[in-house]
Amino acid sequence: MGLKRYYPYSFTYFTVLFYGLFFIVPSVVGLSFAFTNWGSENLTDWAAVKFVGLDHFRYLFSDSDFNQALTNTFAFAAVTTFLKVFLGLLLALGLNRKLITRQFLRAVYYIPAVLSVTVVGLLFSAIFSMDGIFNRLLQDLGMGRYALNWLGDNRTAMSIVMSLEVWKWSGFCMMIFLAGLQTISRDYYEASSIDGASRLQQFRRITFPLLMPAITINMTLNLIGGFKVFDQVYVLTNGRSGTEVLNTQVYRAFSNGLYGRSSAMGLILFGIIAIVTLVVTSYLKRKEVDY
Amino acid sequence: MATGRLTRYALELALLVASLAILVPIALMVLGSLKSPLEAQAYTLRLPSEWHWDNYATVFQSGGMGRAFKNSVIIAFFGVCLTVLFSAMCSFTIARRSSRYTSILFVWILLGMIAPFSVVPTISLMQILQLSGTYASVIFIYIGINVSYSVFIFTGFIRSVPRELDEAAIVDGCGPYRMFFSIVLPLLKPVVATNVIILTMSIWNEFMIPLYFFNTSEKWTLPLTVYNFFGQYAGKWNLVFADLVITATPIVIVFFDRAEVYRRRYDVGSRKRLIGRTRSRRSEGERRD
Repeated sequence: MGLKRYYPYSFTYFTVLFYGLFFIVPSVVGLSFAFTNWGSENLTDWAAVKFVGLDHFRYLFSDSDFNQALTNTFAFAAVTTFLKVFLGLLLALGLNRKLITRQFLRAVYYIPAVLSVTVVGLLFSAIFSMDGIFNRLLQDLGMGRYALNWLGDNRTAMSIVMSLEVWKWSGFCMMIFLAGLQTISRDYYEASSIDGASRLQQFRRITFPLLMPAITINMTLNLIGGFKVFDQVYVLTNGRSGTEVLNTQVYRAFSNGLYGRSSAMGLILFGIIAIVTLVVTSYLKRKEVDY
Repeated sequence: MATGRLTRYALELALLVASLAILVPIALMVLGSLKSPLEAQAYTLRLPSEWHWDNYATVFQSGGMGRAFKNSVIIAFFGVCLTVLFSAMCSFTIARRSSRYTSILFVWILLGMIAPFSVVPTISLMQILQLSGTYASVIFIYIGINVSYSVFIFTGFIRSVPRELDEAAIVDGCGPYRMFFSIVLPLLKPVVATNVIILTMSIWNEFMIPLYFFNTSEKWTLPLTVYNFFGQYAGKWNLVFADLVITATPIVIVFFDRAEVYRRRYDVGSRKRLIGRTRSRRSEGERRD
């Protein structure tokens, strides 16, 4: 194999350097400093940091704010992932058919995915504010008594944050599903319709099983993104009205100079993401078929 | 067959109506950016009674938008180019050479797709390296957090590009660098385009990293100024909307421009044609020389 020299290891060095130095090193430091009293007084003086064992974890799991954030994060990840994948699948199935405005509609549904969260967030706060277009719409429909300050109310704030996420990313899921749908050969549909299969049967027996890889990708990406949620909450409510999530807590602990605790929360987040991703992907992978 | 067409029309109509959920807020933003403060405050879809194009000039002058725009462009440009270049090279070796090193490297790099970014240690590291507050710090972080995804996409694609191409290049006497840059990289165009779109989108729109790493507004990127601007001009929704439009426009343009390249799928399956195409491209290049 004299060809080795055409695929030199030197091609990998830049990636190894940047990824190792700016991602892996901080991650490892973060993991180990989660068990220390690291704070603003010794930000760069890593030698002065003292080991405190599981103190942060004990504190966090008995802290009601943190538990609230934990619950919210799980709810956010689960609800938004389900809705995004469901809506994305519906849109993709619809827009995979020969419609007149197909290209236009695909583009429109994809636009929100391209916009910055700050842009979408401010747009949402304009729409859902007390004198916003949404309350005005309710009034016009004769439901004025339901008007309220959607983002300032504990009962609705979290749902608005979630709806922003769904509004923004359903089109992205749609694109992944459309790519998946295009890989399914037409022959299956032709053969099955000759055999007298109905559209519903075709969906259950052909489309859905062959779309499993796309579902796996969508579920995994969305769950990971859902657990890491930060900007949406920061821009819309900044954690007020009971919308605190893990990453906003990490930010708050960091702002207060509690680096050890901030890292401990990061570690918990990492643990959750790793476990959930592993369980979900291995479950979904088993469902994937090969015809 | 008539019912089939009817359901198709019904479906089309339903999808068009549903798309209003996206079009109405966007129209609200674009129209609002051209209204007087009072009219914009009313949040209606009525056309402005007077078209205030000067809102954009105001935002550019007083909101620090010009500077933020420049910052965003610098960071996105270097972040995207370097990430794509490094990960394409790395993926090429990983995909073509199977050794202990490459297989361990691959798994190690993919780890970055699930691990969350550790903010505080990175801030501390940047201070130790004396990079804090510089463009370089943020660009390096973007490379670090984005290579995983990029390598993942590139490796999958390169594995489907036939090896015969490399061999043809080697027979013709190319060295590894020349082979990569003049033969392999041009073939990766569709996947480079995909990567560029995704990376540009995520870097341009990123909020958390500049928030943590730039503590003076001088280096702020567009999404950050937008947020700050909202506090500063509370109530002046026409200006806020103008600001939102300025932030959103470049990325929408990049997306729809690049999406064209993306759509033209290369048929990697037919090896002969591919090889033929590279040969002719190469001879074209030689002729130009």
